[in-house]
Amino acid sequence: MSSFGFHLAFWLLAAMTVGGASMIIVSRNLIHAVIYLVISMLGVAGLYLTLSADFIAVVQVLIYVGAISVLMLFAIMLTPRAERNNTETSLKLPAAAVMVLILTATVFVALDTDWGAVRQAALADQARLIGQSLIREYVLPFEIGAVLLTAALVGAIALARHDDEDAAIHAQSLQAEADGTAEDVALLTDPPLVEVEADAGAGEDGGS
Amino acid sequence: MIIGLEEYLALGALLFSLGFYIALSKKNAVGVLMGVELMLNAVNLTLIAFSRFSTSDITLSTQVFVIFIIAVAAAEVAVGLALILVVYRNRQTINVDRTTLLKG
Amino acid sequence: MPDLVLGQFAGVDMPDWVDALLRIMFIVALMTVNAFALIYLERKILARFQARVGPTRTGPIGTLQSIADALKLVTKEDVRPSTADRWAFELAPYIAFVPVFLIFVPMPFTETWFIRDLNLGLLYVFGVLGLNIVGVIMAGWGSDNKYALLGGVRAAAQAISYEIPMLLIVVSVVMVAAGRLATDGDVSAAVSINGIVADQTTTPYILLQPLGFVIFLIGALAELHRPPFDMPIAESEVVGGYFVEYSGMRWGMFFLAEYTALFLIVLLASSIFLGGWNWPFGADVGLGLQIVLTLVKTSVMIVLVISSRALFPRLRIDQLMSFSWKVLLPFAIVQVLANGIIMAYGGPDWVVGLVSFALLLALFGLVFALTRTRKGGDTTRTIQTTPARPRVITSPEVTAVEAGGGD
Repeated sequence: MSSFGFHLAFWLLAAMTVGGASMIIVSRNLIHAVIYLVISMLGVAGLYLTLSADFIAVVQVLIYVGAISVLMLFAIMLTPRAERNNTETSLKLPAAAVMVLILTATVFVALDTDWGAVRQAALADQARLIGQSLIREYVLPFEIGAVLLTAALVGAIALARHDDEDAAIHAQSLQAEADGTAEDVALLTDPPLVEVEADAGAGEDGGS
Repeated sequence: MIIGLEEYLALGALLFSLGFYIALSKKNAVGVLMGVELMLNAVNLTLIAFSRFSTSDITLSTQVFVIFIIAVAAAEVAVGLALILVVYRNRQTINVDRTTLLKG
Repeated sequence: MPDLVLGQFAGVDMPDWVDALLRIMFIVALMTVNAFALIYLERKILARFQARVGPTRTGPIGTLQSIADALKLVTKEDVRPSTADRWAFELAPYIAFVPVFLIFVPMPFTETWFIRDLNLGLLYVFGVLGLNIVGVIMAGWGSDNKYALLGGVRAAAQAISYEIPMLLIVVSVVMVAAGRLATDGDVSAAVSINGIVADQTTTPYILLQPLGFVIFLIGALAELHRPPFDMPIAESEVVGGYFVEYSGMRWGMFFLAEYTALFLIVLLASSIFLGGWNWPFGADVGLGLQIVLTLVKTSVMIVLVISSRALFPRLRIDQLMSFSWKVLLPFAIVQVLANGIIMAYGGPDWVVGLVSFALLLALFGLVFALTRTRKGGDTTRTIQTTPARPRVITSPEVTAVEAGGGD
């Protein structure tokens, strides 16, 4: 694998991946940062293709680009405008120092070790082989993974919903309809949220 | 120049350290999650590179392992984002610098 | 490798990638014409439903109407709101546009004419389909318009919710295909679209998976933002949805992407359920006529999709989400389970088809029970979901507050 096309693909995808990741650091806007993350993930998917891991590449696009990034965009849009900046904390400099340390160490190990590596033949018929090993050798991890995903689903729903206040209002309106007193209705476009004073909330949480 | 294992490993290391920096330095909780995702991606890339260039026959098991990592990452993001929403609802911020209740 | 290489016509020997590129360009050109034709067709069909005649003035019986519209779009000024996020706003149409054309790569038009046969074709289609959600969200967010933002968020929520039942149905189709191919062929062809089509020479999969076909069609309507699932672009609710701020050619790109996606999803559905280029009951009439059959199947389904715009009322956004998560998803899971159980015990094909048909009847029965109306025309409130804001309440305190606020 030393053809010109392969080289071009590798370096372009590497630039895409690293460039996208670096732009996440630079970008001041959180939505832009997520879009750069998408670019970086697509680059990684392309790199999987250069390593002949077709199935993993498709799964990468399906899950990271199609689901995870969209979830992140949702989370950003559910929080107000002031929270959409993407600035650094005071830990910026120590973090950069540790990052350089990790980078140097890992790159040194990667380049210095004699891996004795040979390029294996690409796995033919990957999807079928992966599927088979998922329900034969790896059936226990597979089942645990399924339980984990279900637990995550239930947990995320339980965390994210706040139904006490909504349910009360809804029950009230249903009751009114049942009583036949629903004629004089007031349209409440945006019911005031329960105001939590920052200090009071802090006191409560700290106490419990 | 032949592109071999070393190039992929160096690329994975670079991606990992960028993700590491993002996870440690970003103020916004979603930013931190993005850093974690980048780190996981770097690990996956390294694993796939090893699976292609290894001396022993580990291609299949590595790919299965990567699939598990992706599944766990998906679960982690779902729960993480739900947590961020709850933190926002209680504290009116998702700035990780200002969620300092445990400091007393 | 496809046998019918374009270069053979010109008598030149060209490299693989040039051939692929030429095919993609051919598809892009074809889809532009397709969009013109579909817009005209849609206007005419809708007009018939509403006892009008539709466009008649431009060209013979109005056939040049879409070209006139396109000319207007091209010459129109490309306006960008001054507060828009320039970067996201200008890039969004491309991100919504390019993936749709990328999906054409594994789509078989005839037995030998496709861009490339991917062995993970079905997975690839759904992976790339997820990409244009990002474009839609970028458009909605970048426009700096609350209606656009609402439309974008709705579109993304809808696309994600309906992708899951669709993917599960694709899984059940792949299961059926793998079961059939295990006896007389290569199992790994079960995820490739061309492999699935090739397996349907005698039995189209709609007979084996009728429930799958219906769920796939409903999911397709939702993915395409077609009525009755057009809340993201509903004029009466969110003005025009995520592309409300766009004008000129950028708006045209969204439109082109939308109609191309319509053709594409319908082509996919006719490939995996109706047998694509296969003539019914194994009749073989040669390669040249296969394209005719593909287009006939596709066109019938397009007319079906367009008619649904006139036939069904629009759902409410919360009904839309609960329909996907509480009705379609359980049915899709049951379908996958049923296929698995039948195939594990070596049940024949007709049992698979019968069970799927029974499930389809159950789905229809459930939908009928949930939506049935009383004799007086008053809807029974059998689904009690918490309504989205704004909500109607009769609390005396709030009425007092409202009155006080009015003073």
